[in-house]
Amino acid sequence: MLFGVLKREMKRKKTMNIIILLFVVLATMFVASGVNNVITVMNGTDYYLDKANVGDYVIITTSDDKDGSLQRMLETESAVKGYRMERVIYAAHKNISDKDGNELDCKNTLILQSIDESAINFFDKDNNKIESIEKGHIYVAGSFMKKNDLNEGDVIRINHSGVEMTFILDGMAKDALLGSDFMGNTRIILNDEDMEQLRENEMIYNEYQGRICYVDTDDVRAVATAVNQVSNVTFADGRSLIKMCYVMELIVAFIMLILSVCLIIVAVVVLKFSITFTISEEFREIGVMKAIGITNRKIRRLYITKYMLLSVIGAGIGFVGSIPFGNMLLKSVSENMVLGNDSALLINILSVPLVIGIIILFAYLCTAKIKKMSPIDAIRSGQTGERYKKKTVCRIGNSGRMGTAFFMGLNDILSSPRRFVTIIISFCICTLFVLIMVNTTATMKSDKLIYTFGTKSDLYVMDVSDAMEQMGSNTKEGMKQSLDEKADELAGLGMPAEFKAEIQYKYQAFFEGNGFTFTCQQGLNMQMSDYLFTEGVPPQNKYEIAITPQISELTGAKIGDVITINFGEETIECMVTAYFENMNSLGKTVRLHEDAPTDFKYISTILPYQIDFTDNPSEEEVELRKERIKEFYDSEEIMNAAEYCEYCVAVADTMVSVQFLLLAITLIVVLMVTMLMERTFITNEKSQIAILKAIGFKNSVIIKWQVCRFGMVALAAGILAACLSIPMTEICITPIFGMMGATNIDYKIEPLNIFLLYPGIVFAVTVAVAWITAAICTRTIKSSDTANIE
Amino acid sequence: MAALLEVKDLCKTYVINKRQNNVLKNVNFEVEDGEMVAIMGPSGSGKSTLLYTVSGMDEATSGQVCFDGQDITGLGANELAKLRLDEMGFIFQQMYMMKNLTILDNIVLPAMESKKTDESKKAKTLRGEELMRKLGIIEVADNDINEVSGGQLQRACICRSMINKPKILFADEPTGALNRTASNEVMDELVKLNEEGTTIIMVTHDAKVAAKCSRVMYIVDGNIKGEYVPIKDDSLQEKDRERQLNNWLMDLGW
Repeated sequence: MLFGVLKREMKRKKTMNIIILLFVVLATMFVASGVNNVITVMNGTDYYLDKANVGDYVIITTSDDKDGSLQRMLETESAVKGYRMERVIYAAHKNISDKDGNELDCKNTLILQSIDESAINFFDKDNNKIESIEKGHIYVAGSFMKKNDLNEGDVIRINHSGVEMTFILDGMAKDALLGSDFMGNTRIILNDEDMEQLRENEMIYNEYQGRICYVDTDDVRAVATAVNQVSNVTFADGRSLIKMCYVMELIVAFIMLILSVCLIIVAVVVLKFSITFTISEEFREIGVMKAIGITNRKIRRLYITKYMLLSVIGAGIGFVGSIPFGNMLLKSVSENMVLGNDSALLINILSVPLVIGIIILFAYLCTAKIKKMSPIDAIRSGQTGERYKKKTVCRIGNSGRMGTAFFMGLNDILSSPRRFVTIIISFCICTLFVLIMVNTTATMKSDKLIYTFGTKSDLYVMDVSDAMEQMGSNTKEGMKQSLDEKADELAGLGMPAEFKAEIQYKYQAFFEGNGFTFTCQQGLNMQMSDYLFTEGVPPQNKYEIAITPQISELTGAKIGDVITINFGEETIECMVTAYFENMNSLGKTVRLHEDAPTDFKYISTILPYQIDFTDNPSEEEVELRKERIKEFYDSEEIMNAAEYCEYCVAVADTMVSVQFLLLAITLIVVLMVTMLMERTFITNEKSQIAILKAIGFKNSVIIKWQVCRFGMVALAAGILAACLSIPMTEICITPIFGMMGATNIDYKIEPLNIFLLYPGIVFAVTVAVAWITAAICTRTIKSSDTANIE
Repeated sequence: MAALLEVKDLCKTYVINKRQNNVLKNVNFEVEDGEMVAIMGPSGSGKSTLLYTVSGMDEATSGQVCFDGQDITGLGANELAKLRLDEMGFIFQQMYMMKNLTILDNIVLPAMESKKTDESKKAKTLRGEELMRKLGIIEVADNDINEVSGGQLQRACICRSMINKPKILFADEPTGALNRTASNEVMDELVKLNEEGTTIIMVTHDAKVAAKCSRVMYIVDGNIKGEYVPIKDDSLQEKDRERQLNNWLMDLGW
């Protein structure tokens, strides 16, 4: 008999059951892909670095180890358990062009390497290992292809030191070491024969060869100290730093992860609401069953069986949907990485019983009330007479100019706040996430982060290849002169300006007996007053330095401590006088005073030229000058401070796509929650709607009443989310920037977007869905139904 | 006296599972202004359908319903809603009210929605209170609907039906869910309202209730089988009037 009741129950409340089923599907999809995301993200970079066989420590040199210092260190240092070495050729962006001879845009130095000599594994866009490359073919980084709008099959020309070669692009290569936006170099992988052809050139052989060495060790610190003996090191750091370089990719993954968790919460909250609501709706049936002598256990079993059936079907569908959904969520993250976990399918499968369990638990808890109630209680829908509680809050007489529909909506919310708080929380969580993303993206696209990349200037000239080429032979004075000449050129064009540049050097340093290799930054034509320091006093002379909190943590040095720096010709004991934040080299930098005895022999890289106009032009004028300078240098890569920040952060565009994906998911959730709740309310209020119609209320007023409630709820959620978005952005995003070296972030808040546009979109969708649902559902309720309502 | 409600050849047919069910078959009657008419008949005879169709809550299949000289069968949903809001009052067996409003707010709700007068909200509220006072339920004005008895709630429904000063009041078994005492109280109020000039059409199963009306129509299988007009004799006791009506009903097969 109970089976018959169950069958009718499923049929009679078809729409409600379908909506609950949809939520079970949604919850399973989010649980499965969310948990998968957690594991994938947590182990993401390690998984990738292991798969690529990157090792524990990486050393990059700009020479072919002619003095043998690298080889010597590797062989003598006991901490080195094993190593793999690859020979590379360095090139600049002017050495690479498309089939028409147009120079291709690449970030920093190009690295050419043979696939056969490669010590690590590279992967294609489908995450398959690249085993071999045909002669005359190449693979490049995905970001390089995207930036230059290149496609598979395109022709790429390399013209290096007189060697001209033409290649066919076979596709993108995922490069675990250099593929992240923070490492910044572009690696081109080619056939061994092609590589040999390049090496045959004497100039390339002598001047442009370098090495990349992957070291296996259990003692990274010992290897780092030993690297001090190796000459021409341009990069030397442990796996932790390489992992950190993927922080931007991980930001997106973490956001997806948090989103998944939030969506699980929303799905579960809504599910609990639906179950509780449905069971409370059925008190009368429960009362009748009790009255005719059916035991509590059997009644509970009936409802639990119903939800178990729904959950099994829903979880099954959700499991199938979770696989493509999870892949979609990770797709934007995995553009530059090989993400995944070997137990992904198992996790997806395990999430199915988890969701079924949660739903059965809710059903069990929600049906517990059945046990406590007498048949009459149940028939009276839980109102026994002793538990009367005043619900109404507003008085229509005091409602001022408020319309009846609006008044009824407001009164409903205030009378049953718990019911509406559930919806407000759900909407708020979703909207909040979109707003956090909006704040983060806006900050990344603004000049708010500029001081974490250097100093603020009017314009930044990205192409420093002229200086890089002369790096070996040039001197600090020579470069200073070159900067002054550039300034004179601009003055000649009617744009009086100062040309500045920030140079990074690699120097050995010692503190409390430990040796380190530091990236030291020194400005040319810059004063210490141009920089921003978070604590302490800016260095006043060459005996004083500023360090980042990351360096402080690494070395243990604090303000007032003395670090010995070996500048080559001179070794100076430098006192730490200040802390500063820097996202270059993930915060592991030292700032030197302009008088520090730096030498171009130890140069690591030259950051973009900075132009500061001396005649205080307006922002519009700066933009006009930017265009003129672009023409003058025949380069597109002249940027203002905001553009430069966006370029450095690199992931801003991905963040924008994630932001829109989040918005789309939010709107889908809002749509489903609104539809479910609205329908539930209307089912519950059928008698009230019928009576309103009977006494002469137009259908439009009834729809307005229903819509007003959801409108107010969406408005409250929007306002709450907008207000919370600022502190929540700081709480959620600052630690992520902190990993990159910046903790004092002044977020760019765009009030129009935060308080109007995005909450407005959520509000508009809510109102539209509420309107459509109310119009459809109330249309079928007639005034004459007052005779038929139970 | 002019006919406030004129029903001509009214038919109502429901089609359920391709089966045609003629609930009302060429019903004709008139209700004059100030009358109090009871519609009686066995279950399923079409009493409530007749009430809902003549009040514009349900659509007639054919025929004409003229209210106050206006044919309402051709009116659209919004025009009918306005007519019901401003000119008609309704009382049902189940005392449906808005769950989240107080008794007083439920009563004044139709007045707030109506644009019949340009009275202020305060004046409308005062009118609601006055009606409650008249019906003896002013003490429950600020109560929630689950804080009052069935009799009080039905009297509140009468107040609500009267708030817009309707020309006619339709009542579908207004005492059906009440005990005898509450039923008497409600009927007394309806009689008082009728005496004050409100036209009332009421569906009832209760001869005791119908006996208070100025006319009784007996409907069987969608046809008015007979009409009973009590003899106007002030010397007759209520019980006598009931007995006479019962006799008439029994003659018709009640």
